[in-house]
Amino acid sequence: MTRPGIAFLGGAASRLLPASIPFRFFGAAAVYHLAAWIALLAGARDVPRFAGGLGWPLAALHLVTLGVLVMTAIGASLQLLPIATRRPVGSHRWPAAIWWLYTPGVAAVALGMGLPAPSLLGAGAVAVCVALIGYGALLARNLAGASGMPVVIAHGSAALGALVVVLVTAISLAGAYLGVDLLGRGMALALHGTFAAYGFMGLLALGLSYILVPMFALAAAPDERQARISLALAVAALLLAAAAAAGFAPRPLRIAAVGAGAGAVVLHWRLMHIALRTGMRRNPGRSVRLMQIAWALLAASLAAGLGLAMDAPFGGMSALFGVLLIAGWLLTFVLGVLQRIVPFLASMHRAPGMRLPPTPSSLTAERPLAIHFVCHLAALALLAAAIVAGSPWFAAAGALSGAAGAIAFGSFLATVRRRMSAPGGTAVYPDARAG
Amino acid sequence: MNAAATGPQAQGRRWVAADGIHIDVRGLPPPGPLVAILELVESIADATPVIVHHERDPQMLYPELAEIGWAAQRIDGDPGEFRLKLVRAA
Repeated sequence: MTRPGIAFLGGAASRLLPASIPFRFFGAAAVYHLAAWIALLAGARDVPRFAGGLGWPLAALHLVTLGVLVMTAIGASLQLLPIATRRPVGSHRWPAAIWWLYTPGVAAVALGMGLPAPSLLGAGAVAVCVALIGYGALLARNLAGASGMPVVIAHGSAALGALVVVLVTAISLAGAYLGVDLLGRGMALALHGTFAAYGFMGLLALGLSYILVPMFALAAAPDERQARISLALAVAALLLAAAAAAGFAPRPLRIAAVGAGAGAVVLHWRLMHIALRTGMRRNPGRSVRLMQIAWALLAASLAAGLGLAMDAPFGGMSALFGVLLIAGWLLTFVLGVLQRIVPFLASMHRAPGMRLPPTPSSLTAERPLAIHFVCHLAALALLAAAIVAGSPWFAAAGALSGAAGAIAFGSFLATVRRRMSAPGGTAVYPDARAG
Repeated sequence: MNAAATGPQAQGRRWVAADGIHIDVRGLPPPGPLVAILELVESIADATPVIVHHERDPQMLYPELAEIGWAAQRIDGDPGEFRLKLVRAA
């Protein structure tokens, strides 16, 4: 006879990865989040006019992209996609092995860039690339058998295509520091930045939004046709940017790419706005406010990209573009999503002895999130001011504010992890078939 | 007895039977089932149970139900069906 209550979520639990897997990715992301702001503080002098090259600003950039954004994307997608696609990840060893390879690889890449130490950077790049190939294979296998979410599958597939470009160009860029320049630094750099931020991470963010935002707002699924048009415009923008990077009419194609990207963003915005306006939950909270700010900064990044394409006479345009795109759009968006889904996922992973899921609101920690909200936005504003004013002091203040926000966010994650592990639970709702 | 779906988000087929209000959300794309079920549950003022006819275990539903004071228990359904009974928690 099945024990009362235990069988109730038996099927659910079997499709969930063990909590230790997504939470090790989220925990590493929290650590690298703080490390990124510390690296930025170390390189504050160079931030206002940063335009590439080894050093602590580049290390900070990759601690955010690899350490926070991709780390979170791996943990969240391996946990959420199998639920939505109705296909399990398969072996639990693969995600764990990816973490063990990827996490030290990111540290090696960041240290190799910051110190700088090209051989360490090269070793870290190899580890990160191998781990991401493994992740890409897991993601591809899961998406290949998915049903019921064609728009998300299409975005995920396009993101995987972008990941291939990101990995090839990453190897080329890391190799150049070791004397092996495969693609040429200019082209590799242009492709790498565009396909990493707007391609791999951007398309994953837009695609998962079609599930997450309606779920947060309790709204109907967005219009599939418009979502597909938005994706087509985004992919067209990436292809135009790739052609420009390869040297075909660079300025007109870059401007066209920004135009196509803007069209994609406007359509996506519209669909998200409809979901938020028509949903049952009219006040979706601080997490959605962060996501809304992130969408606005995504549009601002395109405006800065247009400024770059038109050779705007401002020496800090590259740095401003990077801050708007990476910290403004992607980091703000991911932190907004993470603070919402972590208590939700924790609720799905009941602690031993609990027969009902604890409510997400009982697992979350509002005060650290409120502190993070203020510190994160202040950090963005200070970084923008640092670039406009050419002031390293503003950059340092922004990094300190960001670090304070990262500590608060880490405190939130630790609180959720502790609360979800606490044994308890009183109510019993047995599986009716068991009795 | 069939009951027409109402409200801006309502989807799925609803009907009333002796054991409660039934909702069939099979075939709806995510997050349609979640939204349809929660919309129905939140419209119920008394202790009437809700019987959900689903094609899979709706994992995302349980935390949302817990948040509004409802709980779920799996009951026997047709082959290939995942059937749940939702009740207001005491």
